[in-house]
Amino acid sequence: MAAIRTFVKNCQIINRNCAVLSPLVQKHGMSQYPSYYIEPVHKKEMQEDLIKSGEIQKLAHLPTKAARNDQSSSFRQDDLVNLFINYVMRNGEKVLARGLVEKAFENIKRIQLEKYHKCDDEEKKAKIELAPRVIFHQAVENCKPILALTPIKRGGVRYQVPVPITPKRSQFLSMKWLIEAAKEKDATMRFHYQLALELIDAANNKGRVVKRKQDLHKQCEANRAYAHYRWS
Amino acid sequence: MIKSFASEYIFRRAYSVLQCTRFSTASQPITESKLQSFRSEENDPLKHTLDHVGQFYRIPEEEKNIFLYGGLPKSFEIQAKTFNETCLMIRRPSVDVINCLKLIDYTKPTVRFVIFGKKGSGKSLCLAHILHYAHKARYLIVHVPWVGNWMRRCKEISSSETREGYIDLNIDAAAWLVHFKSQNEHLLNNPEFQISQDYVWSKRETTPKGSPLSELVDHGVNRLKYASECVVGLAEEIKHLSRSGHCKTLVAIDGFNAFFYPHTRVFKEKKEVVPPNKVTLTEAFLSLTKFDWNNAAIVTTVDEIAIAEQDHKSHLPRYLLRKEGFEHMDPFIPIFVDNYSPKEFTSCMDYYRERKWVRYYPQQNEELALLSVNNPYNLMHLCASL
Repeated sequence: MAAIRTFVKNCQIINRNCAVLSPLVQKHGMSQYPSYYIEPVHKKEMQEDLIKSGEIQKLAHLPTKAARNDQSSSFRQDDLVNLFINYVMRNGEKVLARGLVEKAFENIKRIQLEKYHKCDDEEKKAKIELAPRVIFHQAVENCKPILALTPIKRGGVRYQVPVPITPKRSQFLSMKWLIEAAKEKDATMRFHYQLALELIDAANNKGRVVKRKQDLHKQCEANRAYAHYRWS
Repeated sequence: MIKSFASEYIFRRAYSVLQCTRFSTASQPITESKLQSFRSEENDPLKHTLDHVGQFYRIPEEEKNIFLYGGLPKSFEIQAKTFNETCLMIRRPSVDVINCLKLIDYTKPTVRFVIFGKKGSGKSLCLAHILHYAHKARYLIVHVPWVGNWMRRCKEISSSETREGYIDLNIDAAAWLVHFKSQNEHLLNNPEFQISQDYVWSKRETTPKGSPLSELVDHGVNRLKYASECVVGLAEEIKHLSRSGHCKTLVAIDGFNAFFYPHTRVFKEKKEVVPPNKVTLTEAFLSLTKFDWNNAAIVTTVDEIAIAEQDHKSHLPRYLLRKEGFEHMDPFIPIFVDNYSPKEFTSCMDYYRERKWVRYYPQQNEELALLSVNNPYNLMHLCASL
């Protein structure tokens, strides 16, 4: 009797979470896991937040997916950096991708430290950012476009219409442009060094990627007249 | 003993104060003395003792010239450029060797040291520290920065004219002579350093007996054809000079086991492998590492990296030196360079944080110690991307 009751309760919990998870299921249609499996929570602070808010009661008895190889509870863990490494990766060569991004961070540190030691002015010295991850976050933030152009066909003509984009798409475009800019380099230059230069420039709001974003925004501004084609 | 206990206590107090100031919410001005617990005030290797172990000391710019043509690993040189200073950690193996060098009886035959350890544990930098000490103590330095450069990445080959079946590495020999000259500039000016015999290079070229040693070196640098023979001759002259008491010599060779590894990357025409015993340069340094002379000390390093990757099976001297090498070097004093001790590890992390190479996060030391297994090279790699 008691067993049946707990079984029914579990089913209800699963059904409740099913509704929440169904858009996720549509996105990860090739996942080997059944739909009611939840993502693991690694960071200790997030676990403590769940305990405080009481959410952990709902999640504690749900089956959890296994942790991926690039996830850990360490402080070195950064979800944005992991995402970036995935975008750099080609043909599943994660080790190479991770190595390239780590070398890029090392190059950022070396370039910034050189500037730091050359600088005599105390004020300017304090402003030079030496942590590569901070620079990376700043660079991605500075390169995010707000609007994008989509082709919309009206009366046989394709118009480039400015359209708002979701934050996730914006972040994706920012990181993709950074990688593309790093690939546009001399044959003798290394990808990780070029990437470091692009990240530093983007963090200071200069450089090719920020220009590309600004060009896109100018184009959107120029095509303002077609904005109503979104709905007509 | 009491002195070392007191200094360790002071070190621990200073470190714990440093940790407290990091977590304190009040903005306290951190004074110079508290920050520098990992730095030693003693920049003179003549005065380094076991009390200084775990601390960093700075090599002044003038004395950095001994490493101009090699001696510091490439990754360390890049780090020194980034940090704007060349700082070596004072570690127990190098202090032990330096103490031995101070106490040896130089009238007895030469003492041989063999430094060994796992990959990346700090053997080359240990040798660099000893070299700095020798430079300060005015030894005549015979230093081979890395034998692997000759056996596995030689620049040019030519067959030797005077020795049947031997191979000369001209450019490498001449480069080494330039390195020798730059390291011993202040000693080669000494008029007492004279050659003991005639060297006839060809019908028209001779270096007569009684001419200064620097002339022999210059001849090798100018005439690449005779560079290797010059090195062999120079080795004999140095032994002669030490025996007669003109100078105290330190022979420092990094990657000594490469002289005994048969599968070199030195190829003759038709891609035949040349074993090291058929290379002229080997003879010079094997004669320098014998114990048939005195007033000298020999410090060598045996490293897995000096041989082919397929044979990286053990870091121990008997395996790396092989039968001929071991019989040549026996008896020697083995010096083991281990991974970082907890104190050395903390000191290294404090140094990286002070140089703004690594930003602090909670439990950083423990995490990196576990990931790097306290190996200095692994730690350097992990901290590179932090």
